[in-house]
Amino acid sequence: MDKSMQVIVVYLLTHIGLIFFMYPTDIIECLETGHWSAILLGFAIHVALLAVYLKGLQFGAPNNVIDIYKRFGRWFAIVFLFPVALYFAVVIVITIRAYSEIVTLVFLDNTPLWAIMALLLAVSSLVAVYGVETIFRTGILVALLFSPALLLVFSLSFQNADWRYMLPLIDQRAASFSYVFREPFLLSFFAFTGGFLFLGFIPPRIPYKPRKVLLASAALLPMFMLSVYVPLLTFGQSAASLLQFPFITAVDTVNVSWLMFDRITLFFLLSLVGFVMIYISLVMWKTALMIRSVVTIMSPIVTILLLTASVFLACLYIPNWHAVERILWWNTLLRLYVMLVIPFVTLVLGFRLHRKGAAH
Amino acid sequence: MNVKNVIPYASTMLLIVGMMTLLCGCWDNKDINHRALPIVMGIEKSEDDYQVYLLIPMKDQDKNSALVVSDKGTTINEVIDKMNKNLEMQIDLLHLKIIIFDRSIAEKGLNDSLSSFMRAGDVSPKTIVTITEHKLRPLFERMNAASLNNGISLYDYFEKNAGWSPHLAQTRIWHVFRSMQSETKDVPVPLISAGKATALESSGSAVLRKGIMVGKISSDETLMFNAFAGMGSQGKIEVMNQASVLIVSDTLSHSTSLVENTPVLNSKLTLKVTIIETKGSPTATLIQQELEELWTARYIRMFRKVQSNRADILGLGQLFRNKIPMDRLKYWRDDYYPRLKFNFRIHAIIQNEGLLKMKE
Amino acid sequence: MELLEHLRNRQRQDADLFIHRIFLDRYPVTLVGATSLIDLPQTVKLLQTQVRHVVASESPLLAISGGIGERIGQEELVKVFEAITEGKLIIIPDNADPCIKLFPISRKLSRSIEAPMTENVLRGGISAFTEDLDTNIGIVKKQTMTDKLRIHTYWLGSGLRRKATLLYMDGAVNSSFLRELQLAVESHSTQDVPDLQTLNTMLGFTRWSLVTRFNTTELPENASFALNEGKVVMFLDRLPFAIVLPSLVGDMFASDNDRNYPLFFMLAIRLLRIVGVLINTLMPGVYVALVSVNPDVLRIELAMSIAGSRVGVPYPAIVETVLLLVTLELILEACIRLPKSIGTTITMVGGIILGQAVVEARLVSNVLIIILAATTIASFTVIGFHNAISIRISKYVVLILSALFGVLGLFAGMIVISAYLASISSFGVPYLSWPRSKEQSDG
Repeated sequence: MDKSMQVIVVYLLTHIGLIFFMYPTDIIECLETGHWSAILLGFAIHVALLAVYLKGLQFGAPNNVIDIYKRFGRWFAIVFLFPVALYFAVVIVITIRAYSEIVTLVFLDNTPLWAIMALLLAVSSLVAVYGVETIFRTGILVALLFSPALLLVFSLSFQNADWRYMLPLIDQRAASFSYVFREPFLLSFFAFTGGFLFLGFIPPRIPYKPRKVLLASAALLPMFMLSVYVPLLTFGQSAASLLQFPFITAVDTVNVSWLMFDRITLFFLLSLVGFVMIYISLVMWKTALMIRSVVTIMSPIVTILLLTASVFLACLYIPNWHAVERILWWNTLLRLYVMLVIPFVTLVLGFRLHRKGAAH
Repeated sequence: MNVKNVIPYASTMLLIVGMMTLLCGCWDNKDINHRALPIVMGIEKSEDDYQVYLLIPMKDQDKNSALVVSDKGTTINEVIDKMNKNLEMQIDLLHLKIIIFDRSIAEKGLNDSLSSFMRAGDVSPKTIVTITEHKLRPLFERMNAASLNNGISLYDYFEKNAGWSPHLAQTRIWHVFRSMQSETKDVPVPLISAGKATALESSGSAVLRKGIMVGKISSDETLMFNAFAGMGSQGKIEVMNQASVLIVSDTLSHSTSLVENTPVLNSKLTLKVTIIETKGSPTATLIQQELEELWTARYIRMFRKVQSNRADILGLGQLFRNKIPMDRLKYWRDDYYPRLKFNFRIHAIIQNEGLLKMKE
Repeated sequence: MELLEHLRNRQRQDADLFIHRIFLDRYPVTLVGATSLIDLPQTVKLLQTQVRHVVASESPLLAISGGIGERIGQEELVKVFEAITEGKLIIIPDNADPCIKLFPISRKLSRSIEAPMTENVLRGGISAFTEDLDTNIGIVKKQTMTDKLRIHTYWLGSGLRRKATLLYMDGAVNSSFLRELQLAVESHSTQDVPDLQTLNTMLGFTRWSLVTRFNTTELPENASFALNEGKVVMFLDRLPFAIVLPSLVGDMFASDNDRNYPLFFMLAIRLLRIVGVLINTLMPGVYVALVSVNPDVLRIELAMSIAGSRVGVPYPAIVETVLLLVTLELILEACIRLPKSIGTTITMVGGIILGQAVVEARLVSNVLIIILAATTIASFTVIGFHNAISIRISKYVVLILSALFGVLGLFAGMIVISAYLASISSFGVPYLSWPRSKEQSDG
């Protein structure tokens, strides 16, 4: 009973949910021409880390990440995984806060921010309480329901493209990778590292084939490309770099005379917000799992409710968009740790477990 | 997870949502019949103040009527706010279809007002931008009197699938916004005035350079622009001395080169026409020649005019993106463009001669 | 004569009980049973014939126990009373010998096989299940014609006894599901099952479930299809339909009967049903969201005509929608309860008078009437009345969220419903799984 399909769908849609908002802003800000090099570089790093992580998990199977680390001592696990839990918590706060801000900016300017944050949190924690199998099945259902809107928008989004904006293909800066250590490029990893760690938390009753997940990650590349190149080709780099959410604005310029709706952006945006809710519930579930592996007496529901409440308070505490961007930047350190250290350490630990297992 | 535990949780959530409904009502949600949805906005400058006109269709199903509201203030938003106070409904600009600027504003530049529209997002970036050389009040009164269907049909004048004709430039807010930021692309904006029998009449296009009006071109020249920009000149009837032809299709090809820092552009426009009437008995070759000469002359005239304005409405700079380095391209409008050699050739093909045969 | 004494006592409270003394050959015996269940003259006739055969073969009378009955000791009072309730005939010999329980000729108490009442068939067999358990099993056996069919019978309840039968196809059925189901039935076999709600709790499902955990069908064709698919079919005595477990999301859209149509047509109508469910759950929410929160999404022409139709409506869109929805639900409920001859009157009153007048009086906008009419019609495109009910409820969740958050609430509502559906599983089989392949889950 191979459930790779579920894993792949959730993997894809959590990433798609994250790609189309902040990622194009960062990449367009990062370079003047040759954006594809930055996209490809980020993507290559993502795939490489994914491969390392999956290999480590495969060695360590059937344990999940927490169990693998715990095999080397309780404190060892706490020291290594505490930053991960912290990272997850911060990610939930940022994502909730940022997405509700986007929602108010784009179309719900009358609704108070706290209400939108409460809705996003309530839905995601409800899904998280139901547990991981439900998250996966919900993912598939939601993907089926929402993907028509997404495909429609993708196919229409090139309506206003001026392909000559693609040129010149590369320049000095893009070729020399000098952008790698600058803030926008590092920030753009938000879209890459957000999702894939969940692969290590999947319980053995949901078996999947790592190779298939790795292959499926190729489907993300067109998404990354689309998110950056649609606004670029529509507005040109200089105009696009002024936009807060370039992809959304680019889709806003699409004129469809045969649809009964005037703004297809809304449906696109909301499909993505739907994906993000799934993503948040997944992260919440992971965080709750980590908390409960230390504080074993708490029931899953209590853990998630406490987490929800504290996230909500934290969200209320963030005063403005600028603060969100600051926290996003501070979180980069944790992100680098999570994306670089965890996969490799997992590989090493997994390999040692594997050897131990083989020796017995 | 035990599903039974989830039920109290879910019912609590429902309770919270219900309480929220009771407590907050529906915040500021206004039903559609309590919102005024203006179709046309006119902006005029009198001394230091903006005079803003709105054409608001009335919603009584039986009556064809619209309301013209106008007020004065230092910024556009202030005026809208004032109007809101006086009107019994709330003004919702998201359905705005046409913005008419007074010529004097256009000559000072549209940058500020259009940027603020793009920033606030309360006006759709798809709104059509137009300029008028006449007073706005008579224009609005004419629109109100002559328009059908509560004024909604005014929009059809600019809609490609409705009443649009290739003599009319079709420029939206985001086009102007893009050109304001772009080094290599400017836009024409339709010039309109009150019609005699119809609501609106067009008298050519204003040429905008970086959002500032610098000149104008005639309707026929706008047709040239549309043919060049790929908007299509289909359906246009060209009346010449010896015959009238109907344009069936047009295709355009370019080749560019940079000779001693002087940009050279060779363009070829292939027109397919059918003959609809003849005067006397010209041969097909003669008609073809006449058409080619007429269009070439018109193109060159239009090009000279915009070249002297240093406004690149044809977007020729785009064709040189891979020839001129990016840092030099910034000076395209002032340095390269005035020196551009534009070799233009029209190739006319008579696709058929109608249902009557022609003598060779 | 302790037993007879007990029976006489009982007879004083239960007029239905007969105690009839006759001679079988030369032995005096007492026949005991329920008058309403046993056709006494016919049964006595049958007994006499049998006794004559026995006497002819010169074996002792008690040998009939080997033929048509089984022995019960006279002291086993409970067993005797149970047998009488079940409609058996008890023969009590005058000496102290054990009494004999046997199958009498029973009265015909159930109707004959008829066409289904709640399901319509256009192409396919139209005989439906009846209230009689054995008839139903017979019909299923006739429909499936295979030796792989397995049948288990249970007696449920202590006070109110009821016979239940589980049918499944050996080899096709998901064995872990079957095991857990049987365990649940066996461990709760003393619980009374007067209705399907208690059956629900007996099987360990929550009572607050918005989705039926078992499908019901009146059609043998559907039951046998379910068996072939690996599902378990359960019959309860006195219920004229089969209970199919587990219920899956696909059962809303796909009926076995569809396979009698050309393939393309089958896919088209299934798609239509999916669209119907989506329309039913989403349309009221879409209306409220677009009218009161996000009117900018509509095209201007549409916005103007909706706004025009709402001029003069005195309350917000959500109140308007809920009012009309409740009215529609009332009409629906009334139509089900009423006899067919009066049902048309309700249609008249509800449809024409109410609909027309409500718009004329500007109490609701006519666009809403169109939308809600479409919604109500769409809710019955799904298969099975039980499924129609469950999707009727879900639209209110979407409606409330839409009124608060506009299109965002609409999408959030969709996710909540998806998550709810995804969370349901019966005995390890998720609601959102595809019936064909036993293990793989799919939307």
